[in-house]
Amino acid sequence: MRLRFVLVMIVLVALPVAGISGQNTPWGDPDLQGIWSNRTITRLERPQELADKEFFTDEEAVEYVRDTLERTNRDRRDGPAETDVRRAYNDFWWDSGTTLVKTLRTSIIIDPPDGRIPPLTEEAETLAAERAEQRRLHPADGPESRSLGDRCIWWRSTGPPILPTAYNNNYQIVQSPGYVAILAELMHAVRIIPLDDSPHLPETTLQLMGDSRGHWEGDTLVVETTNFTDRTNFRNSGAGLRVIERFRRDDPDTLMYEFTIDDEATFTRSWTGQIPMVKSDGLIYEYACHEGNYAMTNLLEAARAEEARAAGDQ
Amino acid sequence: MRTNVVMVCAVLLFSGGPLWAHHAFTSEFDAAQPIQLRGTLVRAELINPHSWFHIDVEEEDGTLTRWMIEGGTPNTLFRNGITRNSLPIGTEILVDGYRSRDGSNRANGRDMTFPDGRKIFLGGPPANQVR
Repeated sequence: MRLRFVLVMIVLVALPVAGISGQNTPWGDPDLQGIWSNRTITRLERPQELADKEFFTDEEAVEYVRDTLERTNRDRRDGPAETDVRRAYNDFWWDSGTTLVKTLRTSIIIDPPDGRIPPLTEEAETLAAERAEQRRLHPADGPESRSLGDRCIWWRSTGPPILPTAYNNNYQIVQSPGYVAILAELMHAVRIIPLDDSPHLPETTLQLMGDSRGHWEGDTLVVETTNFTDRTNFRNSGAGLRVIERFRRDDPDTLMYEFTIDDEATFTRSWTGQIPMVKSDGLIYEYACHEGNYAMTNLLEAARAEEARAAGDQ
Repeated sequence: MRTNVVMVCAVLLFSGGPLWAHHAFTSEFDAAQPIQLRGTLVRAELINPHSWFHIDVEEEDGTLTRWMIEGGTPNTLFRNGITRNSLPIGTEILVDGYRSRDGSNRANGRDMTFPDGRKIFLGGPPANQVR
């Protein structure tokens, strides 16, 4: 009896370390390595009309996917010219996914229960309005007026937190003893995350993607990121943003990803999202945003031409 | 449920929907200047996330005018099996797009087709395809 108890305890202790998928690195950490995709048509926030519905049924999912793909197909040439320009080019070029998340949740946000980003604090509302006004008054004075994405510096979907976007939704995870590296195809953004219980960078050292530190909780990699700049500005967040991410390999082809957003100055409460990422057999391709980027000069020259036209009209 | 889904779709359709490109297309290209071009490919720049196709368009007097046409992210091309060799220099193409707001010879390739009407970049990936 005593021997059986000891054996059971050994199994219980060892199980979380081995991970549900049973795959470990040679040095014993749960193995999350590979190329993962988070492309999905499931939206971050639950549409208001689905407010009381947390999950689709299988039938509802089929209908929603069909309707969504038809609505978002960029091959459509209906609608006003402004919409046609915004669609940019054929559907061929886009890679936003054609499926819902496999859990069939109706939103990526799982908390609050309504699946919506919590209201902003009064202070954050004021800041957001000021930023919007600045963009309206100075849309293209120079490169610095443009978003970090336009400037090929950073795109918000690359994280943290990692979110799906229109294309390049591919991430490579590489592990070594004491470190996990996450490469985002979009913007070629890399995070090298120490797992050694070392403290975050000093409060005076701020980075666009923050400072990430990780540790294992059983089979789950938990990463805490702080030290963001106020220009990172994820969903109106400020320098006080703290992101907690959880990566767990549920099966060989699924990496369950969860993130919690905590920023008291910006949001009236913390919020959490979840995306099951799917293993990909493909490759990560290069991202060389500045090379052959005529779009920035095009944008600025367009703004100067508009100004000249407006001056001529007066 | 069906009513809900239809309602959501209707709201999104009439609000313009979640459209997104790496760059703000409406700031670059002019909805008031739709343009159609027939030209010969002289250069293709496929550097993710931007692609630009340079084409020579013959004017009525026989002179050639060089136009630059913006496409999407080349990584999508590679994942769909299209390489540089799929669209060789000298290929004749038709471009249906919008001209640059500054009036220069640049446009977006809203639709790009071969002279026989076939789309060069056709449709999206099949449902459930993981790439």
